[in-house]
Amino acid sequence: MRIDYRIDHPVRLQARFVVDGFTVLLGQSGEGKTTLLRAIAGLLPAQGEPFGGLPPQHRAVGYLPQGYALFPHLRAWENVAFALPRGAQRRAQALELLARVRLVDVAEHYPAALSGGQQQRVALARALARKPQLLLLDEPSSALDAATRDEVMAELIAEVHEFGLPVLAVSHDPHLAALADSVAVMCGRRIVQQGAPAEVLLRPGSVAVARLLGHRNLFTGRIAGHEPGEGVSLLQWEAAKGAILRMPQQPELAVGQAVQWMIAPTAVRLPSLKPEHHRSDNPVIGRVESRLNLGAHFQVALRCGAERLWLDAHSNLVRYHGLETGREITVDLRSDGLLCWPYAD
Amino acid sequence: MSTLVDVLAADGLPRARTPALIGALTLLLIAGPFIGLAFATHWSDFHFAAGDTRSIGVSLGYSLIALVLIVALGTPLAWWLARHSFRGKWILEAIILLALLTPPLAMGILLTALYGPYGPVGGMMAGTGVELTNSAQAFVLAQFYAALPYYVVAARAAFEGVPRELEHIALTLGKSPWQTFWQVSVPLARLGVAAGIALAWVRALGEFGIVLILAYYPQGIPVKLWVNLQDIGLPAVYPLLWVFFLVAMPLPLLLGLASRRQRLI
Repeated sequence: MRIDYRIDHPVRLQARFVVDGFTVLLGQSGEGKTTLLRAIAGLLPAQGEPFGGLPPQHRAVGYLPQGYALFPHLRAWENVAFALPRGAQRRAQALELLARVRLVDVAEHYPAALSGGQQQRVALARALARKPQLLLLDEPSSALDAATRDEVMAELIAEVHEFGLPVLAVSHDPHLAALADSVAVMCGRRIVQQGAPAEVLLRPGSVAVARLLGHRNLFTGRIAGHEPGEGVSLLQWEAAKGAILRMPQQPELAVGQAVQWMIAPTAVRLPSLKPEHHRSDNPVIGRVESRLNLGAHFQVALRCGAERLWLDAHSNLVRYHGLETGREITVDLRSDGLLCWPYAD
Repeated sequence: MSTLVDVLAADGLPRARTPALIGALTLLLIAGPFIGLAFATHWSDFHFAAGDTRSIGVSLGYSLIALVLIVALGTPLAWWLARHSFRGKWILEAIILLALLTPPLAMGILLTALYGPYGPVGGMMAGTGVELTNSAQAFVLAQFYAALPYYVVAARAAFEGVPRELEHIALTLGKSPWQTFWQVSVPLARLGVAAGIALAWVRALGEFGIVLILAYYPQGIPVKLWVNLQDIGLPAVYPLLWVFFLVAMPLPLLLGLASRRQRLI
């Protein structure tokens, strides 16, 4: 489903993108993401398609705001039945919807007695009872416990896939974006990038998008030259003692131009265990500043001149190299993992 | 302060005694006149004066009519004030405040000037045969003016307490604004609206000043109390007062109980 909306008030924003399966619209707080959802639901004045010009009660959308807004004076099943026509089948239909989100056993409970995840599923069942063509979720992962968040979100996504409904979830949470079918990124109150999560996460279109996606290895540098014969551009990393880094050629960047660049922590490689694989694109020396044990993986912070470079490596490799705090090591910045943009504030 | 903290309170939490003591004292002050009434009443010679029974019927019947009018006309105004903001809204609020502020006797005079036989509205209505002084209509009118502003203020606060988001969600679930009002706004505002109805009932039933000026006849209980005091004396006041309590109390009590039976929020 194609979304094309323009809003003038309370914030001016323009959003044009495609909702395909479970689509996450990623953006910082204050970008107007909630405003966009409310506009699509018809709750504030805006121009656009779909549903343009219709009053909210005639738009076939299911809207789940933050906090879910269950009716506190109605039991779980009555909340779900709210949108259903009066009749003998009303309760049975509501219970059937509750069964689909696996909540029949709390049908008689009031919302105050439900957990955050249960409230979310009741709100989902209530929205589905309206037979929407589009489901709108506002920060669906924000009110959930960190411990159960991924599980609850994975379940929610599985449920909406089962219903075969296009879903637009707005969020500032890159974790949620990683679980989606499609990600659109909002920056400066317009859509700046859309694609599959893996592609957007790996190749953010700008440094602002990279920041939004939670990338940490963001640095500044200067274009030192181009080597068209080898298909590479040279990047000088001034903060790290002027190290010269080779990256895939970007002819649009002028020599001497200030740039911002990033490298994913997984593209920062420790020397291989097998010497025959020992080929380096961009050797850089760093001193271990701290390390985070994530079980099978380690995240290691290296001090490189004035900057801090994060690397993500298998625990075996980290142990093999004896990466204790203070240890100096030469790592390789993989050329094809380097991304570079003209400098912007 | 530790001596004032009752650590053995029933719910297991420390409970301060000072508020309880002051509360008990305040309650005693409120109850004082009624305790006095119980002692002052001649229980062995408990009887009604002529016309007392009729005044009970007048008060109850017309107060009910006034209450229906107050709820029917006051609720839309209260909802509108709660849900809309516009330039010059403060003028409307000031008008309601003015109605609350005006001394009943003065309000009676103002109403007589407007609805009396020589007033612009009263003169016009008299031409159609409807008397707006010293008539059943006048009695209801007086009570309406006495109690309406109290109801509007209470109901407005109640509607303001309903989260707008819930009304919006009801719209997105396909309900019309009218259905949303009845199925979401009213149930969620019911505690405050019920309090407003109870308050309006008590105000209407007990109104003396406005009624005295605009509708001395037909005599309701408050005016009849005054007449009994003038014509017979104190012993003729007390029995009617007991009846007044007996007929005035059930509605606010029931409203309070009914609206609190399901306290969810």
